[in-house]
Amino acid sequence: MKSALLDGIVLGLQYGLLGVGLTLIYGLTGVLNLAHGQIAVLGAVVVSLLMGTGLPAVPAILAGLAVSGAVLLALDLSVMRVVYRQEGETRILLGLLLMLGVGFMIDGFLAWRYPIEQLGLRIGGDPISILGVRMSTGSLLASAITIVTGLVLVAFFRLTSLGRGVRSVIQDEMGARLCGVNPAFVRTFVFGLSGVLAGLVAVTRSMTGPIGANNTISFTVLALIVAVVGGLGSVSGAFLAGVLLGVVDRLSSFYIGTYITTIILLVCAALTIVAKPSGLLGRPST
Amino acid sequence: MREPVVVSGAILSVAGLSAGYVGEDVIYDIGFEVDEGEAVTIIGSNGAGKSTLFRAIMSMLTPSAGTVRFDGSDITGLATHRIARLGLAYVPAERHLFPQMSVTENLLLGAFPDRPDPAIQDSVFDVFPRLAERKTQDAGTLSGGEQQMLAVGRALMSKPSLLLLDEPTTGLAPLLAAEAYKALARLRDDGLTLVVAEQQVPLALELASRGYVIDHGRFGLSGPSEELAGNPEVQRAYLGVA
Ligand SMILES: Nc1ncnc2c1ncn2[C@@H]1O[C@H](COP(=O)(O)OP(=O)(O)OP(=O)(O)O)[C@@H](O)[C@H]1O
Ligand SMILES: [Mg+2]
Repeated sequence: MKSALLDGIVLGLQYGLLGVGLTLIYGLTGVLNLAHGQIAVLGAVVVSLLMGTGLPAVPAILAGLAVSGAVLLALDLSVMRVVYRQEGETRILLGLLLMLGVGFMIDGFLAWRYPIEQLGLRIGGDPISILGVRMSTGSLLASAITIVTGLVLVAFFRLTSLGRGVRSVIQDEMGARLCGVNPAFVRTFVFGLSGVLAGLVAVTRSMTGPIGANNTISFTVLALIVAVVGGLGSVSGAFLAGVLLGVVDRLSSFYIGTYITTIILLVCAALTIVAKPSGLLGRPST
Repeated sequence: MREPVVVSGAILSVAGLSAGYVGEDVIYDIGFEVDEGEAVTIIGSNGAGKSTLFRAIMSMLTPSAGTVRFDGSDITGLATHRIARLGLAYVPAERHLFPQMSVTENLLLGAFPDRPDPAIQDSVFDVFPRLAERKTQDAGTLSGGEQQMLAVGRALMSKPSLLLLDEPTTGLAPLLAAEAYKALARLRDDGLTLVVAEQQVPLALELASRGYVIDHGRFGLSGPSEELAGNPEVQRAYLGVA
């Protein structure tokens, strides 16, 4: 039970990071990135391929994250321009369809070229005991990376001029323009950041189990659930929701069975929408 | 091709400006100039086109004709965020604050992308002590008067060389409106160049040294504030004198 709880927190932090990338893009542009999981796994596959050529882990990981980031960044600079010209419902639907298409393309590409390529980062060393629970070094490293990334993100959004600029565009785009913030630049930056974060989650997840083409859809669905429960557009909400859902995930597979966890997570998301449509920390839409 | 250089002391000069919505103009052939250090008002009733004029100057709308020059260069059609960075600040009547950010964060964004100048921030708190008391409060939870102060304060953080204000008394009770104008008079006395669009004509004419009357999208009467205040037409239409 205690270990399921701790496992849940470790997992949940990573879910949170996955949700942050999705929630930022949605808050900024109204585009629901249904290719988020595919982009995450694509990065992991690149890392695996590069390591297969003998490249050491760290440069391979950096390259993988760069690929994940570059794919989203390139989308923002090309086809997304058409989406940004639309408003309201049209924009949301068009963005959704487009990203769904991108997701299918990446899935198809992976199934065609790298159906069995999997990234499994084995972290050496004996399990370490934390609060009386033995945790593998892989899961500790994954948590450490995720926590540090989360803290860096929070500091970035609170303390830097660009970070505040991103939040300003999410809250009032015209107000941001009047302050001298260029929304187009902010969008491009956030797309790139979101891709890198997605890739990072796939990499940290691979420290506790292999990640490959068959993980794409579950990553996208998880990101979506986390973002909805946390409140679309809310970074802190995504982290909170990630941890809560991670714990629910581990506890339900501990007490009931793995087969049911996704259903339970979906039910959690549905209940949140009914109880508080704006999510845990989202702002009520006016 | 180079444009002919127009030698003019004006910090803002608008010429032949027409603009509107969905292809239909609502302001026509607007021309006026503002010199450095001046306070100018544009008075007009509901729907006259005051906000549209400001939006066209700030490129929030694309003008169908005319030019806007600021500080010697043509800014017609330049992206809004670029115009803002040149030192032309606009406080819209809707304010466009960042509701889930604190007063301090809203002010810091005013200085974007530069490092905020603590001396400027102190001077904002000096003009609006209420903001200093509410530094950590979210902008969305401020009262209407405080939001107006924050909107002006945020604009000041960019050290603008010209401040455009659209109906700064929107939603304020008469006492608060007078107070807001006291703060503006103080900024004017400190040398800030101001253009204020207003329906509260007595307040505006007291603040500004001269003004323009806009009616149905066109500029009509203009002149020094005392002259406008004494004009029978202005008195009848805007000052409630029978
Ligand atoms: N977003 C818009 N779309 C279409 N028409 C608009 C829009 N905004 C304003 N108008 C129209 O343009 C005309 C001028 O409006 P504008 O808002 O510029 O007037 P105003 O002088 O600022 O009035 P007020 O004092 O009420 O703010 C009005 O007829 C108005 O209906
Ligand atoms: Mg108006």
